[in-house]
Amino acid sequence: MTDNQRRILEMLAAKKISVEEAERLLALTGQPTGGETGAFETAQVQKPKPKYLRVVVTPPKAENGSEARTGIVNVRVPLTLIRAGLKLRAFIPPDKADQVNEALRSKGLDFDVRNIRDEDLEQLVDALSDLEVEVSDEEGAKAVRVYVE
Amino acid sequence: MMCPPSILRVRVHNQRWHFGLWLPLFLIWPFVLVFGLVLWPILLVSTAVFWGKGWGKLVLLGGPALLGLLCAMRGLNVEVKQPSEETLILVSFR
Repeated sequence: MTDNQRRILEMLAAKKISVEEAERLLALTGQPTGGETGAFETAQVQKPKPKYLRVVVTPPKAENGSEARTGIVNVRVPLTLIRAGLKLRAFIPPDKADQVNEALRSKGLDFDVRNIRDEDLEQLVDALSDLEVEVSDEEGAKAVRVYVE
Repeated sequence: MMCPPSILRVRVHNQRWHFGLWLPLFLIWPFVLVFGLVLWPILLVSTAVFWGKGWGKLVLLGGPALLGLLCAMRGLNVEVKQPSEETLILVSFR
């Protein structure tokens, strides 16, 4: 809340202005007075940050169909672990970095690992929040799920 | 500041045998801290020796980096079951 908005509300509380005038003045400050737009923005801001990368593999359904589906692989990797692992690239000695670059080039990836910046990696990890991979079997049941939570 | 995991849980079992480990890591960390403080002077000398060869940075910052990696392992959970559900492998850091 800005100073102007606070001042308007104080004037309203002191009954120096009417509710309609307060509403008009609040609208003029450029901020929504409430309603759907404000609620939407609040929802955007309060979106929780993902903490874990999940990999879940479920087995195919039992042939008689009576057994419940049970996860056979259930992996939960903290995103902080991914960040910490990516920071270890700083310890690659210069001559080894050349070898890594050469190996990448032979696979068709032409870039220098020394040029990767921390911001790029942060963006990469942040972008994982929108990741969701689902592999379904022939019956349409989800067999493999990779997602963040 | 992240805290290192305080408990390591390992569980392996199949039809014939069971193995379960519940390791209170929080009891080990004070000893690791003392060990690190004792090793600190040796680490500094090693850094000076290896700096010319390009490994000094690795020696100096490798310890803190590994500690960061260890701290980040809190919450890691790996669980693998066989389809028959008779075999289970579970590794969990809490």
